[in-house]
Amino acid sequence: MNFRTVTSGLALATLGMGFVPGIAVAETFSLWVRSDGSEFMPPLVEAFNAMGEHEANLQIVPVDELVQRYAIASAGGSAPDALSLDLIFTPAFAEAGQLRDMTEFTQALPYFGDLSPAHLSVGTVNDRIFGIPFSGDASFLLWNKDLYEQAGLDPEAGPTTWAEIEDQARAISELGDETYGFYFSGNCGGCNIFTFAPLIWATGGDLLSADGRTAMLNSDEVIAAIDFYRGMATDGLVPAGSQTDSGANFFAAFANGNIGISPSGSFAIGALNNNYPDLNYGVTFLPGQETGQFSSFAGGDNFVISAGTDDSKIPAIEAFIEFAYSLEGQKILVANGAVPVRGDLAAEVFEGLDARYLVSAEAMANGRTPYTTVFNDIINSRNGPWITMLNRAFFATSEDEMLKAIEDGQAEMQSIIDAAN
Amino acid sequence: MTPTDPTRDNAPPTPRKPRQAGWHGLFYVLPALVLVAVFFLVPLGMTVWMSLHDWPLLGNPRWIGTANYERLFSDTGFWNAMRFTAQYTVVATIGLLGVAMGLALMVQSQGRASSIYRTIYFLPVVTGFASASLLWAWLSNVDAGLFSPAAQLLGVTENRINLLANFDTAFWTVTIMVVWKMAGFYMVILMSGLQSIPTDYEEAARIDGASWFQRFRWITMPLIRQPFALALILCVSGSMLAFDQFYIILNGGPRNQTVTAVYKIFNESFVSFRLGYGSALSVVLLIILMILSAIQLRLLRDKGEAK
Repeated sequence: MNFRTVTSGLALATLGMGFVPGIAVAETFSLWVRSDGSEFMPPLVEAFNAMGEHEANLQIVPVDELVQRYAIASAGGSAPDALSLDLIFTPAFAEAGQLRDMTEFTQALPYFGDLSPAHLSVGTVNDRIFGIPFSGDASFLLWNKDLYEQAGLDPEAGPTTWAEIEDQARAISELGDETYGFYFSGNCGGCNIFTFAPLIWATGGDLLSADGRTAMLNSDEVIAAIDFYRGMATDGLVPAGSQTDSGANFFAAFANGNIGISPSGSFAIGALNNNYPDLNYGVTFLPGQETGQFSSFAGGDNFVISAGTDDSKIPAIEAFIEFAYSLEGQKILVANGAVPVRGDLAAEVFEGLDARYLVSAEAMANGRTPYTTVFNDIINSRNGPWITMLNRAFFATSEDEMLKAIEDGQAEMQSIIDAAN
Repeated sequence: MTPTDPTRDNAPPTPRKPRQAGWHGLFYVLPALVLVAVFFLVPLGMTVWMSLHDWPLLGNPRWIGTANYERLFSDTGFWNAMRFTAQYTVVATIGLLGVAMGLALMVQSQGRASSIYRTIYFLPVVTGFASASLLWAWLSNVDAGLFSPAAQLLGVTENRINLLANFDTAFWTVTIMVVWKMAGFYMVILMSGLQSIPTDYEEAARIDGASWFQRFRWITMPLIRQPFALALILCVSGSMLAFDQFYIILNGGPRNQTVTAVYKIFNESFVSFRLGYGSALSVVLLIILMILSAIQLRLLRDKGEAK
């Protein structure tokens, strides 16, 4: 870029500023969202900015890098003014003094009592509210109706037990021609806490005690669930690439249309409807071993404001929050795959939407969020005990090998928890 | 760079006022000194400072003295990572310098064909490590890539083969990728050495009846000692710091067997958020690298130069 381009650019910029409608209170604030929100956040921000009063400047950050990027930006004094933060991280951020106290603003909202309690409970530290519910993300099963029809299965009825998943996956695999019954990302810790752990919860088991202090990986329910996946992998109902998929194909595998059943999450509804309108799919709960059992991961984002954000930007940020909570805002969020966080609007928000969105909301209502202060170390880490154990056990060639992997995983997870407490 | 630098021996000694020249010299190297201080010494000092703290990614650091270093000695994860890194460094260095030497011998002559091949061999060097890794991650993907169907087509295997699912094939996939990507770089370094060898030595040896291997061993190798040392040190330190390819293609798998030293530092710092401990690991890795480089320099020093 030479000097002349710089100067003419500056001149243009100055001119441009002169044309901005002169509302004295108009403020621009920076806003981050992790890449999981790349379906619902841009349309929401676009609609907000189109109202012309304030402007939100959105940046989408890769999900794996959000915490470190925020920490670096914060240390350098350039933290975003606000962000939509994975609710798992709200307590850690708040305790580190990174977040602005939003108690007064939140409690004054007329619909405060109808906001998602799961979000609020992790957003509250020492009775002060630092993170408020923004978007919900539930996990469930997707099934490909066209493949069901080809395999002679009922395209309108998804599986309701583990045995049904396996039988139906087998029928679809028999279609051959690069078609597989089931898909999971076999080397992705985050994907599997989201979609595999609910299978354990649905049967009444758990991988951690309620206080997060004891690992319970060698319990019967965990072993049974792992053995269920291992059976499908061994029988070739799952593509070979699953073993080394660290999450890159978590969504794409099913979207390509040659997978019968795949566990997934709310974000997939928005992404499939927006980008793969021809894919004919159904949504059902992540089941247990018996009919009627089901569960989900209760995930999503809390909306937080950085501690260092200038007071002059607060009205604009609060206007954005109120817009997101309005019927229009909730409708945009829901139409793009997020589960709504305002209970009182649910009926109106879902009006005119297909039944798949309702499954997502119902799954969320029956969902769980594992509580642990070392979530990243034991669950999310690509080299942590959770995914190392699952990867070894899912693709073990013998039962002994599987049990050994589980035993090792249990010992390592417990030792990390003990070291942190 | 040339071992027979005519100006060094033949130039007459210039009379100089030594004191004045010394101050002038300092002035000339000042910009370089400032750059080194700002971009090397200050960050290094900060790393050492951080390594003496419990320094979380978010929140306030706490002074803990040498506790991080004490912990490091019993951290099997770190020493496993060091062992794997050393293993990878040996294999990658032999592979890279062997292939680079072969390529350099092939393309050292002047001429149109040589320069075309030189360009072709150098091309992968200009791709970034991250993009090259992504390319190879895709190529070796069992469902969507090219290697698995190619192996089936050639009759190497009957079934699909997931190269990244077991340690041996995964390790060789990454190592071959690194050789493919970096050999051209070391080829250029070695080639510059080869081209500086006067052709009469070779001719004389040929007339005396020396075989190709004898000429290579007793003329070529001694005369490219310096560029070879440069290539070796760059290659060893580059391999000891390997990260991108193992992170992107293998995620440290299968079964965490390909977690390198830098990968471990990354995990401690940015997954477990323990920047202090990560810094302590970095300091130890730096010391190991310095020792390795010193040993290589000593081994490769020209005896005539060792004054």
